[in-house]
Amino acid sequence: MSLDSFQSCLARLIADPDYRDRVRAAGEAAIDSGLTERECARLRTIARDKGVDVNRTLHKGFRLGKLRAMLPLTCHLLGTKRLALHVAAFWKNHPPSSFYFIPEALEFCDFLERRRLRVKYLAEVMAYERANLEIEKARTDAPLPQRVLFQHDPRVLLAALANGQRPRAVARRPSLAIGGRDDRGRIHWQLIEGMENDAVTAPA
Amino acid sequence: MRPLPKLGVGLAFQAPLRPLIERAGEDLDFLEVVPDIVWTDLGPGKSPRYVDDDAALEFLGRMQRSHPLVPHSIGLSVGSAHHFERDHVRQMRSWWERFPFPWHSDHLAYHLAEHQGQVMNVGITVPLARDREVLDLLIPRIDEVLQSIPVPFLLENNVYYFDIPDAEMDEPTFFNALCDESGCGLLLDLHNTYTNARNHGWDSLAFLSRLNLEHVGEIHVAGGMELDGTYLDAHSGPVPGPVWDLLEWTLPRCPNVGGVVFELFGSWFDTVGEQRVREDLRRMKDIWAATQGAASNAAVTA
Repeated sequence: MSLDSFQSCLARLIADPDYRDRVRAAGEAAIDSGLTERECARLRTIARDKGVDVNRTLHKGFRLGKLRAMLPLTCHLLGTKRLALHVAAFWKNHPPSSFYFIPEALEFCDFLERRRLRVKYLAEVMAYERANLEIEKARTDAPLPQRVLFQHDPRVLLAALANGQRPRAVARRPSLAIGGRDDRGRIHWQLIEGMENDAVTAPA
Repeated sequence: MRPLPKLGVGLAFQAPLRPLIERAGEDLDFLEVVPDIVWTDLGPGKSPRYVDDDAALEFLGRMQRSHPLVPHSIGLSVGSAHHFERDHVRQMRSWWERFPFPWHSDHLAYHLAEHQGQVMNVGITVPLARDREVLDLLIPRIDEVLQSIPVPFLLENNVYYFDIPDAEMDEPTFFNALCDESGCGLLLDLHNTYTNARNHGWDSLAFLSRLNLEHVGEIHVAGGMELDGTYLDAHSGPVPGPVWDLLEWTLPRCPNVGGVVFELFGSWFDTVGEQRVREDLRRMKDIWAATQGAASNAAVTA
């Protein structure tokens, strides 16, 4: 049990800078009980080691990389500075509790929604990527069809983001996208636009 | 450890390296794959928990006809005191049934820990305390792996940017004891050794000369970079000079080694360039041929 607790504390030293600061400042008082004297001494020493900063950087890079992989269009739309700001705020209250990164990406979507950001196209782009993740999450079951209401032409909007461009002046064209899986298990979207009925492919 | 089949020189698979891998010809003897990147882990309790990336598996299946596959997984977290990922072991067993690999490996570290009743993934390999208590945790787990997957199992020496102080054993003593008592082999990552020695101010050769190199089943080489005064095992470049020196010293002293693998992250491939990667692979092959003899791909269907 003690080794288990020690490893938890060590992981927190890397992932949670506030906890590390407390261990640095308060020593024993900040460390969970149940650890041996040697384990407490080890944590105090490690908390002062600059190698923890390196690990923290690598940890953040790993976690951010996963978010960017799961929500590439949303992250691109936010831009580097804004993304860094919101990710930092998100991480402050969301320890990396899951290593199955779809739940973390979905939680990040919830977090961004609650912030009610005034970023053009964000709501629909995020809804689209979130729907893709919901389909992915239900990979082994028959996923419920996902519905995303677009206010702007999704073919133009998503293609621009997928090509690494910032979308500009995308035509307002309300449409409904319905996502699911095709016979080969690939995510497939159908676009219903007025009387038109068009198939679109999810950008990779 | 029993001698491994002499596969020769391998490259760690990354999707951006696919074109190079497909036309590598004699520059490449085998392919190492992190299997965790070609499946999706849906988490404990899901059935099936691991969902394959069919396109990647199709590619690997095709490659396996000419190049043996050796998995180097990242999901075991063998040193986690909190729990042991037996689902991962079962998944590796199913991989062995699909791609009958001659050996496999993971990392001597942990990345999963308990936090507020949940499993926290640090996402990096966190060092283990080199204590008897940790050996006693690892040995039965390694035995489970060896019982489940009847081919040699190697653990990689970790890169660490801080060390856990007041260890009961130094690194060579710990690795030697682990291999002697558990039956696993060592995946000796020379770039990790170089990185640790450079950052912590010790001598790589002194470390290597105290290792029982009969335990070494595979060697990794890679390149890295300096960031804010710390040298990183970033897999971001060609093999640096000091690591070549370590390889030339070490390889002839490893009687049971099966292969040497170059690790390069796919995102750095364009920067390094195909020509330089090929040059490094050829240099590895020259060193291999001079010290281990001819490579054999007899293990393709082993």
